[in-house]
Amino acid sequence: MGKLKIMVLDDEPIVCKRLKPALEKQGYEVDSFTQSADAMEQIKKVDYDIIITDLKMKGIDGMQLLTEAKQRSPKTEVIVITGFATMETAKESFHKGVFDFIAKPFKLSEIQEVVSRAEAKIRGE
Amino acid sequence: MWSRIKKSIKRLFAKKYEKISFQQIFEQFQLLLQYHQDAMELIADLGEKSGGDYIFDRKYLIDSTSRLQDLLLRMVKGLNQISSDRYYELYSTLDRIFFPIEMELRGRLALSNAPYVVSITEMPLDTPELTGGKANALGEIIHKLGIPAPSGFVITNRAYSRFVDYNELEERIHSWIELWINGKETLEKSSGQIRYSILAGIVPQDITRQIRDNAKGENVFWAVRSSAYGEDGDLSFAGLHESILNTSASQIPDAYKQVLASLYSPEALTYRRQMGMIGEEAAMAVLCQEMVDSRASGVIQTLSLESSAPNCLEIYAAFGLGRTVVEGRDASDSYVVERAYPHKIVSKRIVKKESLVRAASWGGEEEVVLPEDQQEKSSISDTTVNSLAKWAMALERYFKRPQEIEWALDAEDQVWILQSRRLAINLEVAEKVTKRGERFSSYPILIENQGVVAHTGVGSGPVFLVNSQNDMLAFPEGAALVTKYTAPWLAQIVPKATAIIAEKGSVAGHLATIAREFRVPALLGIDNVTEILSDGMEITLDTYHRTVYAGKVAELINFERVQSMVFEESPEFRLLRRILKRIAALHMIDPYASNFTPSNCVSVHDMIRFIHEKSVQELMEIPAALSRFKGAKVWKLESSVPLDLRILDLGGGIEPELSGDKVHIEQVRSLPLRALWEGVSYPDSWSTRPVDIDFKGLMSSLTRNWDAAGGGVMSAGFNLAVVSDLYMNLHLRLGYHFNLIDATMYEQAQRNHIYFRFVGGVTDLTRRSRRAQVLSQILSNYHFNVLIKGDLVIARLVDVPKEEIQGRLTVIGALIGFTRQLDIQLRSDQDIDQFVEQFFHQYENLGKSLLAGGENGQVENHGFR
Repeated sequence: MGKLKIMVLDDEPIVCKRLKPALEKQGYEVDSFTQSADAMEQIKKVDYDIIITDLKMKGIDGMQLLTEAKQRSPKTEVIVITGFATMETAKESFHKGVFDFIAKPFKLSEIQEVVSRAEAKIRGE
Repeated sequence: MWSRIKKSIKRLFAKKYEKISFQQIFEQFQLLLQYHQDAMELIADLGEKSGGDYIFDRKYLIDSTSRLQDLLLRMVKGLNQISSDRYYELYSTLDRIFFPIEMELRGRLALSNAPYVVSITEMPLDTPELTGGKANALGEIIHKLGIPAPSGFVITNRAYSRFVDYNELEERIHSWIELWINGKETLEKSSGQIRYSILAGIVPQDITRQIRDNAKGENVFWAVRSSAYGEDGDLSFAGLHESILNTSASQIPDAYKQVLASLYSPEALTYRRQMGMIGEEAAMAVLCQEMVDSRASGVIQTLSLESSAPNCLEIYAAFGLGRTVVEGRDASDSYVVERAYPHKIVSKRIVKKESLVRAASWGGEEEVVLPEDQQEKSSISDTTVNSLAKWAMALERYFKRPQEIEWALDAEDQVWILQSRRLAINLEVAEKVTKRGERFSSYPILIENQGVVAHTGVGSGPVFLVNSQNDMLAFPEGAALVTKYTAPWLAQIVPKATAIIAEKGSVAGHLATIAREFRVPALLGIDNVTEILSDGMEITLDTYHRTVYAGKVAELINFERVQSMVFEESPEFRLLRRILKRIAALHMIDPYASNFTPSNCVSVHDMIRFIHEKSVQELMEIPAALSRFKGAKVWKLESSVPLDLRILDLGGGIEPELSGDKVHIEQVRSLPLRALWEGVSYPDSWSTRPVDIDFKGLMSSLTRNWDAAGGGVMSAGFNLAVVSDLYMNLHLRLGYHFNLIDATMYEQAQRNHIYFRFVGGVTDLTRRSRRAQVLSQILSNYHFNVLIKGDLVIARLVDVPKEEIQGRLTVIGALIGFTRQLDIQLRSDQDIDQFVEQFFHQYENLGKSLLAGGENGQVENHGFR
């Protein structure tokens, strides 16, 4: 198994801009999207190992996307990022097999740690 | 006169305390302190976010500011409640301060209110949308780094819109571009037509007038340069736009149009089309810099692109104006210099220079032949090479990416930085580097997953340990600052540091704030850091993984270099910094200054400070007004200490079912008062020799001479403690000084505080200030945040467990006795240290564990609030 493939989806460009290089430096291959429709198209083409997505977005929201992603590739681990206000909705998504949540604003080290745990699970460590 | 004042004070009180009960005042005051603390925490949180360790979005900023606004509204209400609406004006102050913050958050950077022309010294930072990338960077160079750059002004983007509107150009420009995009017209034709329209346009008078006001008459000549938004930032338009040198003031409007026209040159249009920006509305700010009469000038690249000189920078230089160098480097001298301090010159290449370009006396430029004996001389001295290298590396440290810098050397051999922009690095190099990705396991890891990140980034250099102020002078440019404590004086060396690693300190502290100001990667709270890292050792700090590697991790440094975005420059961080400027900056420091008024509050922090000061002053007036409270039971404390203390119990502060009006300290239930009294009655604390006689005399003269500046109201002649079980508000008037102590002792550390305020004295201001120094030194040693202003001392401490509050209150109790008449004895500045020592000697058993450097000295320096 080579590098893990990660998708980052958040309609706030700053989230993608900061997360992509940070995760790349950790040795992952990262695609980032600010439009959920584009991301939806992309998961039809590529199976990601990990998807990091915001929940509340215009158009297709994070919940729809993660449902679709899980159907296509059950092995994909999904990490949900969300504002504090939407934490309750976020908890619902646990039923959909979400790996973990992270509330905005968060530290880079926090998300890196969650991603490392997801990687450990994927690699069966 | 005096009786009139007295009367008016009486009137004031009569009116004031009808409305609100005594109990309510103290409840309100405690609430105010709570809001104050919450608000300061919110501000500290926002400040922390600017360090880059967090990912936040606009929503977070909106939420935080609206919570802050809510707290401020409560504070304004609270203060008005305890002062019978004496500060009604604050409601409008609140609106005035929050309105622009809301505008910023809604993304409506108030361009419509922005000036057409603004001087570099007065221009707002972090707003390249208004002043363009080049001018914004130059502003930071001048304001933050203090690097010499010529003065000047910016003709803003708003002026551009005004020019376009005035000459009705928008439609025209748009249609010519469309014709070109649709292939119906050639690039050259479209570009030519647009440029012709711009050059034929008229610069409106409201702009020319402001240009004239800024251009200092006809004897000064100007370099007129483009400063487009995005230029010198993420996108490099290097060389695409026009620069016009040596322009007189009256020629600036014409030069301005030429620079604007270059926004539509064939090259610029092609570039914007390639970048997918042609559909966006273009705009251009124009920078006018005073011409440097350059003896020599040139360009620096802070990273040599030659693989043979990997750790070097390159300086290109020629005689005269910079154009020779900018437009072709073959005819310039070049110097390869080590990036690391002390910037050794590795090699020089001195070429034959046949001519030079200089400023013509009639304006414009002229090329003249260089005398033969000068043609093969080095255009600059080694000393100049050295200072150029030093400034260049300071610029790269600040802007975080390799820079391309234009500079000039004037007739007096003074170096000037004309502009600094990101150096375009070959992307093939970038690809190779990023592929490495993985952890850099070939380098020994010295520190891993430890500490807190104050400012994010990667920094590499030799370790320099700083233990005392003396070490500071020797601190080399580009070293990694390693220190045990986070003392305020470290601020001076932060701009020189490539990284900061400290044992103590918090992300809300002073050092963290300074690190963010100068964008220095900083990791705080590393145990034994001064033992792990030793002087001179080469290290690399990576805050992303809170890791310190031994050696220079080239892979990591290169990875950072080629990242497209410097997080500090992203719109979200700029927005945060602009907001912080309106929130966290503190301008109102002296509560006795004449400008300490609501109308002079510029930031949220100013308002918080104002409200806090005024609410404390309201409380100070309480003892004098005590008789107005019917039914308020006042106890007298029976004690051998000659301190006439009355106690007012808000509830739970005195043993219940006590009769009479006297209490002994054993009957006092208020924890803070008991803790304090332990110190007051500590053996020798209240030595009655030799000030006793004085003391009585002074007490009797209190009402006669009390300086209104001390509190504004006459004393009632006794000392008052307003207490509950876990709270104490103590007013002391001893001799001519006034001391207020407010403290809580809750189970939850975050609800606890000590507020200490001391002012006045019997002697001249110099001696009183010396006493302030003594107090400040002693209190600082107990980790108080201390502010001194003349003879006023304000010390604060928040967020500590109740045991620590207790210990410190005992120390303060001892201090009250110790300092009573100290000002009389402080005859010279040398006495200060002696008395500080005497205190620690006399009370060596008090609060030992709370001292700086003590085992429990864990209280972090939160900066002064």
